Amino acid sequence: MKERRKMLAARGNLADRISEIAARRGTLYDFVNDVLEQAVRAESLGLSLKDVLDNVLLINAARDAGFTVIPERIVRELIEDAYEKLGKRKMTEIWYETGKWYGNYYEDLARFENSIRSFFWDISEFGIDVQGEGAVLTCLSSKFSEAYTELFSKFLEGALNAFGYNLNESEVSKGIISLKLVKSKVE
Amino acid sequence: MFKDRSKEKRLVRAPSDLVSKLNEAANRQGKTFYSYITEILEQAVRAYEMRRSLKEIVDGYEVLEVHKEAGTVFAPRDILEFLLREVQDEKDETLQQLWYQSGRWYGIYLRSRSDSPVDAFVRLLQEGRWDLTEVTLRQVEKGLDLKCVSAFLSQERSMCLQKFIEGAMISLGYKSQKNECFQGIIRLKFTLSES
Repeated sequence: MKERRKMLAARGNLADRISEIAARRGTLYDFVNDVLEQAVRAESLGLSLKDVLDNVLLINAARDAGFTVIPERIVRELIEDAYEKLGKRKMTEIWYETGKWYGNYYEDLARFENSIRSFFWDISEFGIDVQGEGAVLTCLSSKFSEAYTELFSKFLEGALNAFGYNLNESEVSKGIISLKLVKSKVE
Repeated sequence: MFKDRSKEKRLVRAPSDLVSKLNEAANRQGKTFYSYITEILEQAVRAYEMRRSLKEIVDGYEVLEVHKEAGTVFAPRDILEFLLREVQDEKDETLQQLWYQSGRWYGIYLRSRSDSPVDAFVRLLQEGRWDLTEVTLRQVEKGLDLKCVSAFLSQERSMCLQKFIEGAMISLGYKSQKNECFQGIIRLKFTLSES
């Protein structure tokens, strides 16, 4: 049976660009068909194509920044064992230094904040509120163990330190991190 | 004088059923069909400029959704390598078992979600941010030959990933016949499990 077709109105310059791209791959009709199929697929995931692309770009950035995936249960197990074996001091030092590296890597506080929100989907709430010379960081996750919360708070402190903030006050307990920081006078 | 093509409209032919589905989606979002289609075509151009097809990008997003469902998280690679080096000797068996169980979960999940779960699993290895630079699956006599290569994986992480793959393949109905694992290279041969 012959496929029924309809005409779509598209912006002139955009349709020209699409025709150019399609010409390198096959027919315009097949290319548009594929694009619309993917838009329907994205819709079925509850997202727009733009959201899908934005997400995938951010996750690609995670790889470039040196993040890798690991089943949550395993990373928690590793941390608990290493915490016991190496002690609190050594472990917090490693997480702090790694956080500092990431702060230097991202350079921009808003970009760092956005990345943490996107990569760490086990965090239910994350925000850095900058007010004048101070900043308040809040991080909540019901999935964090006590040890992991402590280490992750050190990671965040290290990153914020790279952005020129020093810790002034902290409240860290299982799944809850609240850090109050002040901009250091000498950078 | 040149015409301003951004203000002109051009007609493009498309399958009727897809147009109807997207028209409904545009209505649901309170957008005009024209602006909705413009957004979609802009993303197609964006994907092209990223040297990817939209299909590859949506596939990649679906892989991330599987990770979220599986409770897999991102962690800084350096810390992970450090922890594995420090702990693996003493906890080798427990860790390998955890990776294997995690693989089994992925296999069962993909089997229930995909019409071709083995292909979906290979895509998960390729697109899943495991730090693999090459993943190839070949049909060989009586089974499958899977090869994973990475410039980033330590010996410890290569071994963990090997266990993960074995676990997933068992859930997908394949048993491991032969395996080789060096730093950054995993080669596995599988045959269909009789059970």
